[in-house]
Amino acid sequence: MKKWLVVLLALSFSMPALGLAEDKPKEFMVYADKNARDNHFIPSGWMGDYGDIKINDQSSNNPHSGTNCIEFVYSAKKTQGKGWAGVYWQNPAQNWGSKKGGFDLTGMTKLTFWARGAKGGEVIQKLKVGGIGIDSKAVYPDSCDIEMGPIELTDTWKQYTVNLAGKDLSYVSGGFCWVTTADLNPEGFTFYLDDIKFEVDASLKPEGKKQESMPFYVYSDVRSSKNHFIPSGWMPDANTAKDIKYENANKEDPYLGDTCIKIAYNDVSGTRWAGIYWQNPANNWGNKDAGFDLSKTTSFTFWAKGAKGGERIEEFKVGGIMGEFSDSDSAVIGPVILNKEWTKYTIDLKGKDMSYVIGGFCWSTNVDNNPEGATFYLDELKYE
Amino acid sequence: MSPLSLRGHFSLVWRTVPILLLAICFLAAAPRGRPKVFIKKLKNNHYQLIVEHKPYIIKGVCYNPIPISQNYEYDWWSDPNKPWIVDGKLMKDMGINTIRLYQVDGDSDAVKRVIRDLYKNYGIRTILGSWLGFWEYPCPFYGDKKFQNKVKKEVLEMVSLYKDEPGVLMWVLGNENNYSCLGTVNPWSSDEIDKEPDPQKQKAMRAKIYYSFVNDLTREIHKIDSDHPVALGNGELVGLEFANKYARDVDLVACIIYRGKTFGNLFRSLKLTFDKPILVSEFGADCYDAYLKKEDQNMQAFFLESQWRQIYENLAGNKDGAGNCLGGTIFEWTDEWWKHDQSNPDSWSVHDTTSNWSNGSYYFDIKAEGNKNMNEEWFGIVALSQDLEQGINKRVPRKAYYVVREFWKKPILNNKRNKK
Repeated sequence: MKKWLVVLLALSFSMPALGLAEDKPKEFMVYADKNARDNHFIPSGWMGDYGDIKINDQSSNNPHSGTNCIEFVYSAKKTQGKGWAGVYWQNPAQNWGSKKGGFDLTGMTKLTFWARGAKGGEVIQKLKVGGIGIDSKAVYPDSCDIEMGPIELTDTWKQYTVNLAGKDLSYVSGGFCWVTTADLNPEGFTFYLDDIKFEVDASLKPEGKKQESMPFYVYSDVRSSKNHFIPSGWMPDANTAKDIKYENANKEDPYLGDTCIKIAYNDVSGTRWAGIYWQNPANNWGNKDAGFDLSKTTSFTFWAKGAKGGERIEEFKVGGIMGEFSDSDSAVIGPVILNKEWTKYTIDLKGKDMSYVIGGFCWSTNVDNNPEGATFYLDELKYE
Repeated sequence: MSPLSLRGHFSLVWRTVPILLLAICFLAAAPRGRPKVFIKKLKNNHYQLIVEHKPYIIKGVCYNPIPISQNYEYDWWSDPNKPWIVDGKLMKDMGINTIRLYQVDGDSDAVKRVIRDLYKNYGIRTILGSWLGFWEYPCPFYGDKKFQNKVKKEVLEMVSLYKDEPGVLMWVLGNENNYSCLGTVNPWSSDEIDKEPDPQKQKAMRAKIYYSFVNDLTREIHKIDSDHPVALGNGELVGLEFANKYARDVDLVACIIYRGKTFGNLFRSLKLTFDKPILVSEFGADCYDAYLKKEDQNMQAFFLESQWRQIYENLAGNKDGAGNCLGGTIFEWTDEWWKHDQSNPDSWSVHDTTSNWSNGSYYFDIKAEGNKNMNEEWFGIVALSQDLEQGINKRVPRKAYYVVREFWKKPILNNKRNKK
């Protein structure tokens, strides 16, 4: 082969590589506009009460940029009986980790999106990047599982950012996700999304856990975006659903605000005891590195009352979840015999290490001390 | 005698008296007056165990060498094959310097022989404990003076019998008896407690009775044995706010902790609740993966190394730790094959793999059915073989044995607090 031909061939191979190195993308679109060529994910992963969701992915109602945006209508009718719903942007469509479709987004440091509510005040419980196949035995699980939220929308476009600095983005098949609940939006809502994209921002640093300021709510009011934990940890097992009736939005006689929590316990399953942990995120039994730094707290307070008075709760507890990522401490009061009137209870946290809290609050009781069952109410659960 | 010689005599006396006085003073102040084993509070408020004038880190195991096909009633003390001789050698090779015996019953000569053999042959010391009647039927009536006196008599007999054994390290009173004050395990009450309608006050009343009783026992032991510290055995830190009021005379706490890879805020939390030194007297991990249904020695070794690292981080002298830890006794030396089905002798010859309880801190196999992931018969750092060697079940050290041995040889600590 002629020498010049070898040089030409070498050059022809090296040029695209050089070009790629120089043109490393500064952004990577999830959604720009309907049918935009640089959309990389499909909003195909409908979850929970998927029957409550309607989508118009080419809404021309005041897009943030371009010719259209995405409109979601969430009815909160609990069509599938879940009480929550959400949508994953996946690649390829319907990929829950069984197909190889993730992108290597190493180098991106944030995901940004624009959102607005039809009226303002709509609450999205959480936004996610990654997380597909993390909990299951998926063949191709995402390399990251990042959450932010809740957020309360305004009626004008506002940009939101998910910090991804320091996260492992080497395999992302779930590009974006939103989730909300009927409790947070009992009448449902309409909201809009536009310009969802990954970006490079060299100034962003990995987010350490910031010390949360007080008061820090577990539960304030059903629609409050200040609620930071989910009452997802039903104990001891799946049978507990038979034993507990849980209402997050009871309006009979809240201590403060519009709603309180009503819990009716009856030992139907024969398990003989039951309880609920408020967790962050939902169903986190110490298997996810999450939770909050509540180092500034000195006490946990809540209000409680029994339907008749005399109901006995064995434990009210904060912290205490043990797993790969354990709560840094725990504190407990109990047994407590409830009054018929609202009564304030305090768990003293002075000297406790509350720098890492997944289990925000917990109660447990049993049939031995409540042979007739127990109906009780909780309100204003907060760290102070 | 000439005046000169008299002068010399007086001179000798005058020279000798100060020396004698000095010697008396020196002897009075010499370590001879110090207990053989005691806990020293350092200037930085850290605690250090001193044994015969030297700092001592308790590197221990809980010891109950029940052979395959026997149960807890087996009198291993009188076993002519002396399993402790084989075990002691293996323990010494690993670096173990202490065993913990939960309670000693039966022939005191046989017990003394075990203590002496381990100490003389291998330098291994013994922690002796008492259940304080916790497992007696129908339940431990700590509010009943007769019951208290009976337990006190047993405890003081134990102390009198063994206090002069050079191998004895300390006494542990109770194990997790504090849970009975909550009414969760072996609940007990009294007429006075029954009259109190508020269950929180009932709990406080029981705790006052129980911890005051332990304090009383401690003072009685101190009267007859000033050479060995007395520990309050306790499940977790539960109830120690009451011990802080009613059991001030105990020298240390001996806590049972099963928190997986970390002890969390245990050491600092204790400092705030009840500022006493701590022996982590029961901790560890099983080596059976209840999810994958197979033995997993790596899992056990991982947890044990992590736990020992935290123990070392909180020994006296480590500026990043709480400085109140004296060491630990791993649960346990050998597997116990009788535990799963205690009433069925046939099962004592079977190494059961059915999980007995759930603990999310041991997260590798928490997805096991019903989340039951703890295998009570698989906690040994040494496995038992059905083959006999020197008349006893052959000992087969597990990976944890070697991993902890290497850690003790060269402890590598995390200098930053690990909160998770």
